[in-house]
Amino acid sequence: MRQDYLVLKDLTKKFGKGDAVVTAVDGINLTVKEGELITLLGPSGCGKTTTLRMIAGFHTPTSGDILIDGDSVNTLPPNKRPTAMVFQNYALFPHLTVRENISFGLKVRGDNKEEIIRKVDEIMNLIGLNGLADRQPRELSGGQQQRVSLARAMIMEPKVLLFDEPLSNLDAMLRVSTRLEIRKLQQRVGITSVYVTHDQEEAMTLSDQVIIMKDGLIQQIGAPVEIYSHPCNRFVAGFIGKANFLDATIKDINNEQLILDFMGKEIIAPHWNKSLKQGDSVVIVARPESVIIDEPSEDCIEGTVINSVYFGSQMLYEVKITDDLIFRIEVADPQQHIQYSAGIKVGLTFKDRSLHILSAKEGAL
Amino acid sequence: MNKKKSGNTSRVINFKKLLREPVLLLSILIVFYLLTVFVIFPLFQVFKTSLTFEGKLGFGNYIEVMKKSYYIQPFINSMILGVLTATIGTFIGFIFSYAITRTPMKGKKIFRLIATFPIVSPPFVIALAAILLFGRSGVFGGMFGNIYGLKGLVLVEVIAYSPTAFLALVGVLRAIDPSLEEAAMDLGASRLRVFRKVIFPLATPGIVSAWLLVFIQSVADFGNPMIISGDFSVLSVQAYLQITGMYDLPRGATLAILLLIPTVAAFYLQKYFLSKKSYVTVTGKPTAATIKNLEWYIKLPVYSLCVFFAGVVLLFYGMVFYGSFQKLWGVDSTLTLDNYVQMWRVGKGYIFDSLIIASIVTPITGFFGMFIAYLITRKNFPGKNLMEFSSMLTFAVPGTVVGIGYVVAFNTTSAIMPFTLTGTGLIIIILLVFRNMPVGIRNGVAALQQIDPSIEEASIDLGADSGTTFRKITLPMITPAFFSGLVYSFVRSMTAISAIIFVVSGKWNLITVAILGFVDNSQYAQAAAMSLLLIVIVLIALGLIKLITDKLGQGMNSATVVE
Ligand SMILES: Nc1ncnc2c1ncn2[C@@H]1O[C@H](COP(=O)(O)OP(=O)(O)OP(=O)(O)O)[C@@H](O)[C@H]1O
Ligand SMILES: [Mg+2]
Repeated sequence: MRQDYLVLKDLTKKFGKGDAVVTAVDGINLTVKEGELITLLGPSGCGKTTTLRMIAGFHTPTSGDILIDGDSVNTLPPNKRPTAMVFQNYALFPHLTVRENISFGLKVRGDNKEEIIRKVDEIMNLIGLNGLADRQPRELSGGQQQRVSLARAMIMEPKVLLFDEPLSNLDAMLRVSTRLEIRKLQQRVGITSVYVTHDQEEAMTLSDQVIIMKDGLIQQIGAPVEIYSHPCNRFVAGFIGKANFLDATIKDINNEQLILDFMGKEIIAPHWNKSLKQGDSVVIVARPESVIIDEPSEDCIEGTVINSVYFGSQMLYEVKITDDLIFRIEVADPQQHIQYSAGIKVGLTFKDRSLHILSAKEGAL
Repeated sequence: MNKKKSGNTSRVINFKKLLREPVLLLSILIVFYLLTVFVIFPLFQVFKTSLTFEGKLGFGNYIEVMKKSYYIQPFINSMILGVLTATIGTFIGFIFSYAITRTPMKGKKIFRLIATFPIVSPPFVIALAAILLFGRSGVFGGMFGNIYGLKGLVLVEVIAYSPTAFLALVGVLRAIDPSLEEAAMDLGASRLRVFRKVIFPLATPGIVSAWLLVFIQSVADFGNPMIISGDFSVLSVQAYLQITGMYDLPRGATLAILLLIPTVAAFYLQKYFLSKKSYVTVTGKPTAATIKNLEWYIKLPVYSLCVFFAGVVLLFYGMVFYGSFQKLWGVDSTLTLDNYVQMWRVGKGYIFDSLIIASIVTPITGFFGMFIAYLITRKNFPGKNLMEFSSMLTFAVPGTVVGIGYVVAFNTTSAIMPFTLTGTGLIIIILLVFRNMPVGIRNGVAALQQIDPSIEEASIDLGADSGTTFRKITLPMITPAFFSGLVYSFVRSMTAISAIIFVVSGKWNLITVAILGFVDNSQYAQAAAMSLLLIVIVLIALGLIKLITDKLGQGMNSATVVE
């Protein structure tokens, strides 16, 4: 297994000239292991598609390098690159049948006929398209079209498989099941993949590594767990999942623990970031599920419930601490807990080990 | 200021890119050359000639326009004819399209077919039928007084051109979601009120644009007035007579310019109203009409008019059919094939010439038009808008003007055209190619714009180079548009008259010219026989093409064929 199967080096893309120049991708560096699936995640316009299209060869980088399996592909046109793409709108050839769509690339490559038939049957079987070979694309459901488009790319056995928001045209239920299928398939075949999405749940459930982007820059690279529990700044923390942000100062540091002061109350948090010192101002990142809601008492942060919503598996509260600080709290398994309705005074504490601390600088980004 | 600067730099970049693709660059230059020589240059020559007065350059002809009735009368007459035809034609077209899209009328397919028939048949066949019906020795001879003149002309052109309004308006009405009507009725509006307050306002831009289309066709019409205008002189016929009868080029050219101005103005107005139409489609998917229980006071007049109009069309065409078998029109009504025998003897050469020329013109127009459409939609180069504009220009310009342009531009050699083309078969071919091309381009552009670029990218991504992608992906997808362009071109090549009549010669002559000749000699039965033959040829061609496209698996309705 190669550790540096796909490498992006200082990759930059600028559009336009003179005053109207837009830096869509701003010098990003990235290394992907063989067989890994990584996702590019970020808000609209952050440069995900541009990055993907540079890997595929549809955009020429303004500067920087792209290496696949050790070879620079910069000068190769898209049709000569060992990549294959699954398009957001599927881009199926409307005048060709499912079988002709899937075998298109192999035919262009000049593979032998029996071989093509065998491979197409194999992949249709694998992807669950049995019996649809002779249909036209317009005679397929959205989910089936999506799978044809996946089969058409996978059959090429590309070194890198590219996905540009492939599920955004499916309805919510289908989206969930299809992304599980994609993940299983990708792991079974062991194909290195780059997946673009702006759906954080999709990114979390699919990937080995998540790359968070904003304004053409990479904010953080890491496994889903790491990104969720140790976001590197406020933007990442807020973009992946929900978060409450509390401005606090460090009162003391002992035994791998930070003792923090928040509005006169003491909060304990794990001490990860060794550069923090006593007296520093910090920002506490508290996920909604790491806040405990209870009767008001002496050591608790006090607040008033202003909204409570029942979700079945969860209870969602909004609790007002001060006029400009409203907590969002999720309680799992609400039947096991007392339920509070709007107007009730409550006390809040934290699951210490789940708190994450950002320096003042990180907390401002 | 800044904006302009960056615009210039990107133009420079486009140009540099072009230099790297020499084949593309060369073909763009060739296209520009051809458009300049065969579209711009003839029109320029018409202008220049109209500014030649008594051998010198000047506005003499235009000053005369104000004074002399031989200029101003045809102009006024053409405008009267255009306005009357457009108004009545649009009214009938609207009722017809309302019946087709908004009522549960039975036999819509047949009505549709009948209503579109005048579009594919030679334009002056209706005038011929009118003479057979209402002429001096016609079946209903003398019933409406003299058929030659404004009255007859309006009758004939309404039949010939209300189908144009019909086709345009079907699209407009179809795009108005019936649920809007239902909503209005649900809110308590009566059917008539719904019509006045919902349908009519939404359809207004479409109606205006249909009116202008009919106006253009009526003013530019040559074949019908040539046969039936009598003493009512119109611009197109007068221009023709000035040039072929009096050899007065400047006067003919001036009349042509007078003809050009209102038609081109109407064309651009029409484009403007068409672009305003877009809000009609806001409600999304067009839905089939759902109105099942229409009141009788709506059904009765609408249905009667449809039946009446369809009946008139059938009567006219039936008369051509019947007339072609009569021994001597109005004198001896014994049925005979003599007319066909005689028509064949005299007109054989014309028929073959027409077929040869049409089968050369059709593929050239198809490929050339598609190529220009491809350049316009998929490539970036300086002068692209100019290319689009000039390639569509012949569409707006009346055939008479084009014909006169070709006469003055190509009867001598010039710096950009070193050969004399007058009298050759080539000039006919070239004229037809450039005249029929705009529709092919429009179809091609529409088809290409519908193809999402990511489909072509997907092919390249899978390893196909751009040549393979064009052959295997783009080309098959635009095939239906390509074939409908071919059909259009073939039909128009066979039935054209207004421009072509200026460039035919002893050596190369066409079937439509022959029919006019028969009419001129009052040989109406032979004219009818030849018209019928022409209609049959056109129908066979349409059927063949339909067969081919059906085989290609892409259905294509008759509307796109004839539009
Ligand atoms: N061809 C282009 N010409 C000019 N600017 C472009 C072009 N393509 C993208 N951009 C700009 O580059 C930036 C990044 O665009 P990109 O398509 O990569 O965003 P994205 O992250 O994929 O967003 P989304 O989630 O909305 O798809 C945007 O500001 C966009 O306007
Ligand atoms: Mg995108």
